[in-house]
Amino acid sequence: EEEKSSEKRKAPWGRALATASPDRGGLTSAFPPARGSRGKMEEGKTYPQDGVLAYLETLEAQAHELALKQQEEEQQEKKLNRLKARVQELRARRDELRAKVELQEKKLVDKGVVTDPAQPSPQTVLEWKIKSIKAMLQIFHLTGISGKPTKQGVCFCISTAYEGTYLASYYLDILTKPEVRIQRHSVPVFIPLEQIAKKYLQTDLRRFLSVLWEHLNAYAGRRYQAEQLEERFSEHIEGTLQKNSLCNLLVFSYNVSRNGQSFPFTVRLLYGDLCGSLPTEATISCTPGAPASLAETAAAHSDAFRRLALHRAFRSLVDAKQSQ
Amino acid sequence: MDEIIAEYIRRTVLKIPRDEIMAVLQKWGFLSEAQLQTINFRQTKESISHSVAQLCEENSADVKQAAVLDIICNHMYPNKRVWSVYQMNKTGEETDFFDFADFKKKFKRRIQSALKNVTISFREYEDNAIWIRIAWGTPYTKANQYKTSYVVYHSQTPYVFISASVLKSNLPLLCQALVVASNYHDIREMELRSHCLNSLKDIVFKRFSQNFQTYYPRQERSLPAENVDLRITNENKNEKERIQRLNLEVFGDGPQPKLDFAQYKLETMFKSDPKLDVLEKKEPFRCLVKFSSPHLLESLKSLAPAGLADAPLSPLLTCIPQKARNYFKIRERKSFLPESFVSP
Repeated sequence: EEEKSSEKRKAPWGRALATASPDRGGLTSAFPPARGSRGKMEEGKTYPQDGVLAYLETLEAQAHELALKQQEEEQQEKKLNRLKARVQELRARRDELRAKVELQEKKLVDKGVVTDPAQPSPQTVLEWKIKSIKAMLQIFHLTGISGKPTKQGVCFCISTAYEGTYLASYYLDILTKPEVRIQRHSVPVFIPLEQIAKKYLQTDLRRFLSVLWEHLNAYAGRRYQAEQLEERFSEHIEGTLQKNSLCNLLVFSYNVSRNGQSFPFTVRLLYGDLCGSLPTEATISCTPGAPASLAETAAAHSDAFRRLALHRAFRSLVDAKQSQ
Repeated sequence: MDEIIAEYIRRTVLKIPRDEIMAVLQKWGFLSEAQLQTINFRQTKESISHSVAQLCEENSADVKQAAVLDIICNHMYPNKRVWSVYQMNKTGEETDFFDFADFKKKFKRRIQSALKNVTISFREYEDNAIWIRIAWGTPYTKANQYKTSYVVYHSQTPYVFISASVLKSNLPLLCQALVVASNYHDIREMELRSHCLNSLKDIVFKRFSQNFQTYYPRQERSLPAENVDLRITNENKNEKERIQRLNLEVFGDGPQPKLDFAQYKLETMFKSDPKLDVLEKKEPFRCLVKFSSPHLLESLKSLAPAGLADAPLSPLLTCIPQKARNYFKIRERKSFLPESFVSP
């Protein structure tokens, strides 16, 4: 009884208290109880207040999300820089130790004595061996093609990446007896796996894996670029980005302004090489009544699309547009 | 505006759950926001559908818009229909770029060259899925909007998902048009059918969880919190762990695709004690075994842990997603083959 009445007393102050406490990471946590108990107190009047509070809440949540996103990005950058610095550090240390070892060896050779260094315990040796094997396996996985022997053959893992970002991994269970064949796999159905297998699987397993790796990586790269374009430049693109399953034909439109008027450019990117992640053709078309000077701009844009990754090419166009 | 179309739109709206009607109409985009605001969603669905039909009449909706509304409804609730999977084949090796405009043109042309009275609508979705709706007529009557087939196709894949429901006689024409439009050579029906469209896609696109052995990334699976009461000991712990391990190997650790049934048609000889001699003629005993479930694969996965079946399960049951089929024909085991013969 006492608690309930004190809660009721707190409710009208709840909002004021919330604004005064910045360390709570946003006001959203403070709102629900205030609203709930307010509802209990004033049953008839909840509706309009819910409207205003709900709106403020959503604005608050949006701002919070944006701030979180920004924070995340900053943190990732910081982490990357930290790791880079650490790599440098470790390399320097390794070189240092190498130099030391060489120096020691030279000294020992000069002295003519080989001293017996303190033997580490078998436990620590084992732990170190396990650690280095795990690190080796991790490195293999990062190279893009790794495998593990199974009872009847090998299970290969092909990991894809584009410009430093690791993307999805795909697996193949390969049997070796009575002949080399694929038992099962998780390769997407639009990758021409059967064709590649027909050509290389029986004769040259290494080539088979390498060609498949190229196809998968190129596909992952193309899809990543298309997704980046949609995510980062959605407000610059008119309508939606049209693509097909292999992401080797992309069509989208954006506006270019000239002399105060805006003209729509429609881009058609064709990636003729399935193992490539840059378009082989970039056709830009505009409405028939467009001024001739736009043809030059179109050519420049087309060139950019063919040379740079899609999202970077688009960023350069946007920057050029804004500087105009 | 055609009364038939108004009625069709009204009936389509009736099929939508009341809470979703607003969202669907907004997605449709045919009625303006102002018009949508005038609809009172607290009435009965019957009245709501009449209000919507009224507004559509004011805007003079035509067959095309009604068709789009129907596609949107079916895309939202695909599990109300039964979908069959078809596989296309081609022998050429050229890379196909798949031009959507080209596909639409070829498809329409092929169907309309054989049958003029059809309504064909296309809609493309985010995940590269193309939805095609065909309302069939006859050479002498207009297209009947209630006799429809739906096709879902993902570009550059050899699989097509068809929900034909009525008029099986139009199926060959539909298949032909698909083959021509997508640059393949032929098409055959797979033995795979279910209500859940996404699960069918998961199975043929190999998106379901398969357990592949890898060194890395190390699957550090956290064991479920054991009952910490030390007075309780699990006598069958080894057996339980063995079953878990086998289950994991076979089913993987992700969610299973959702199938409604698996059907096994037996054409084997009845083996009995010769003294009983049930059958006078030595004919194969025909028998049909059908497993039905709201979620067949999950229930198969939980059979062994629940103690209802021995692990490992029969490969006839566990090969379903791998072989991408839920219709099987089991014939007599040939004497020189060590495994039982499961025919395609």
